[in-house]
Amino acid sequence: MLNVTGLTAQIGKIPVLRGVDLTVNGGDTVALLGRNGVGKTSTLRAILGLLRRTGGSVVYDGRPLNDVAPHKLASMGIGYVPQGRGIFPLLTVEENLLLTVKGAPNRNMLEEMFVRFPRIQERLRQPAGTPSGGEQQMLAIARCLMLEPKLIILDEPTEGIMPKLVSQIRHEIANIAKRGISVLLVEQNLRTAMRLASRVYLMERGRIVHEGTSAGLQTNPEIVHRYLGVSLKNVKGVIQ
Amino acid sequence: MTVSHARVLGLTVLVLALIAVPYALPALGANFWVNIIAEILIWSLLAASVNLLLGYLGLLSFGQSLYFGFGMYGVALSINAWDVGFWSALAIGMAAASVMALIAGVLAVRLTWHYFAIITVVFSLIFYFAAMSMKWLTGGDDGVSFTPPPVMNLGGYKLLLTDPTAQYYVILGIVAGCFALMALIVNSPLGLSFKAIRENDRRAALIGINVYRTRLIAFVLAGALAGVSGALFAFFGRYASASYMFYHVSGEAVVWAIVGGASSLLGPLFGAGALIIFRELVSNAWEHYLIAVGVITILVVMFAPRGIAGSWNDLLHKAFMRRSQGADPNKPAAVIEEPR
Repeated sequence: MLNVTGLTAQIGKIPVLRGVDLTVNGGDTVALLGRNGVGKTSTLRAILGLLRRTGGSVVYDGRPLNDVAPHKLASMGIGYVPQGRGIFPLLTVEENLLLTVKGAPNRNMLEEMFVRFPRIQERLRQPAGTPSGGEQQMLAIARCLMLEPKLIILDEPTEGIMPKLVSQIRHEIANIAKRGISVLLVEQNLRTAMRLASRVYLMERGRIVHEGTSAGLQTNPEIVHRYLGVSLKNVKGVIQ
Repeated sequence: MTVSHARVLGLTVLVLALIAVPYALPALGANFWVNIIAEILIWSLLAASVNLLLGYLGLLSFGQSLYFGFGMYGVALSINAWDVGFWSALAIGMAAASVMALIAGVLAVRLTWHYFAIITVVFSLIFYFAAMSMKWLTGGDDGVSFTPPPVMNLGGYKLLLTDPTAQYYVILGIVAGCFALMALIVNSPLGLSFKAIRENDRRAALIGINVYRTRLIAFVLAGALAGVSGALFAFFGRYASASYMFYHVSGEAVVWAIVGGASSLLGPLFGAGALIIFRELVSNAWEHYLIAVGVITILVVMFAPRGIAGSWNDLLHKAFMRRSQGADPNKPAAVIEEPR
């Protein structure tokens, strides 16, 4: 579904991606992990064309994304939930949801979102910037789902969220995958990433340094410690 | 009473007051003010065109006078050259302004912030100087005068602009129609796209909004509004002059929009109304009244950045939210709690 090969990019004169290779297959949930500043968000931004690519290729559903304008990605089936939610805080919660709907609003879709995220329905008339961070994240995910995407790219969806809501967001991301939607997930929270993803990529200094299954990573504490700086023991206890 | 009820009531009072103007003001011995209110209505459309870009898309244009001028000349030249009727001349004025806005917009909406403001001024200046130098066509500073055709010709009855009451109602009707159309647009999915782009154009693009095309549509709509304003002003003054294409006219419209309340539909009407009435009251007594206008604008930007309309909305919210909370003190306005 998504094939990234030898992707390079730079910010100013500083190279931030030095040849990233990754693949997301149809219905797959893939996590991109790494320490702060290794190029995870830059990888997503380069895939979406928000960061100028200097080399390599990004192919989605057999079509190169090199010259595709960002606004066409949504109609191609790519949804993006950026870091920090990416909602429109001054528009109401309802307006945020309806923004993604072309023509008449799909009421069934909206109703489905209310069932999935009941807290959103309670806040429909509020400016979207006023609910809690977790609720804003749910809104961002719901808005993305309103586009009926085939691939959702999520950038640190549990960052800065109350622990009580993290499990709910995690549950919703798992539900997205169950619907057959592919997910590319950037995550600092190793527990969340390992629970959700079937495959993981580890990044270091703008490159992919490890690729494998989530189960495989659980048996490789040395790799986890080397590239993520955490002890797997602290994480393992919660992996089911 | 809820906030929305209060808003509807306020709007009804405003509409009734505007309808009553040609009868109420002469009864009070203030005939002169009927024309001033008509002028306010016309200028409010120019301010609304600034507001459509600034308030709804976050684009500050200092070039709306260009489209105002095209609206004026569309009317004056088409009547003089082809002897067209009132509505055809109005349509030609609006179309001329829209085409000019499309040409300028194709380049201008690629830019934002100060670059956008600068390019709109540049376009305005280029055509201002061109119009000033093409005296054979535009009459330059002196302008081109014309005799307005009847607004309607039903059998033997002619509705003429020479009748001040008829002229007022024609202007009121067209301006009200434009504001109603704007209300439809800003509350439509297109209007929602405008607001999304104003908040964050990159995010807007990522949910499938074609930012360039949406900005261009808004720019042309704003140009059309300025064109209608110019066309009405031409009918009102029976002439078109290149002097109205100068950017100080655009600057005044920006001030009216800001003082009235950008991003509020009727804000430009309040801004143009307040400052034109202020001008009429003060300018005879004090030649340098514009200094006071400058001070008012600075005070509004500093202490009431949402302008007259925004402050009025805040007042309504405070008054009616407090009352509705008072009705049931056990019921909070919003419940914010985390699930257990």
